[in-house]
Amino acid sequence: MAKAIKDPEQNETRHLHKFVDVTGRRVLEIGCGEGRLTWRYASASFSTVGIDPDKDSLRVATIDRPSDLESKVRFVNAQAEHLPFRKETFDIAILAWSL
Amino acid sequence: MVHALSEIRRVLASDGILIDLRPIADRWRVEVVSARETRETGQVTDLPLGLEDDEAANQAMREAEANEWFKREREEFFPLHYAWDSASEMEKWVDEEWTDFIGLDEETRQATRSAWALGDADSRVRVRAKMLITRWRKP
Repeated sequence: MAKAIKDPEQNETRHLHKFVDVTGRRVLEIGCGEGRLTWRYASASFSTVGIDPDKDSLRVATIDRPSDLESKVRFVNAQAEHLPFRKETFDIAILAWSL
Repeated sequence: MVHALSEIRRVLASDGILIDLRPIADRWRVEVVSARETRETGQVTDLPLGLEDDEAANQAMREAEANEWFKREREEFFPLHYAWDSASEMEKWVDEEWTDFIGLDEETRQATRSAWALGDADSRVRVRAKMLITRWRKP
């Protein structure tokens, strides 16, 4: 498979931080995939849950998870249409390339 | 999509924020770039499926807004680059990864191959995707 470098200038991260401050907040990322975007903001959050319907991507995300984020970031195999969480669990939801 | 937005609203706290971050089909530019110069070699072709996806997402957000599930606060477009070491790698990616929603016509393929082959030693190929980011707030 061909390899692409995605967003070498990190424009996406810059805009995400410009639009929302995740510091100390409970974050839900919908469509987290392998965690490419997750690693760029999660350390500042209180907690981050990434969901994705693709189990293989979540496996990669879990393997790649930095050790200092183990207690803060977790991944759940789920779809946005059926979120396995109680109401009002999160302060911020990020639809990451998934709408 | 509307059902997903309803679910997101349910799990968001009052006054919570929803960030919608996604690419938008808009005949993204193909470029050959080096430290010395940037040369545009063509544009991708937007295929019907990609355009339909964008419209469906826009429609879902309009519906969520009309239902007063979320209030739009801020919106912006910005560029996001995909970069490859060669023209052939870019073509392979487009053909394999974007096959359903992005196409590449022969003229752009030829122009990109030629510009890359004749370009500086550090030349790379990139596609300039158009991104949309919107901040919504749950009332």
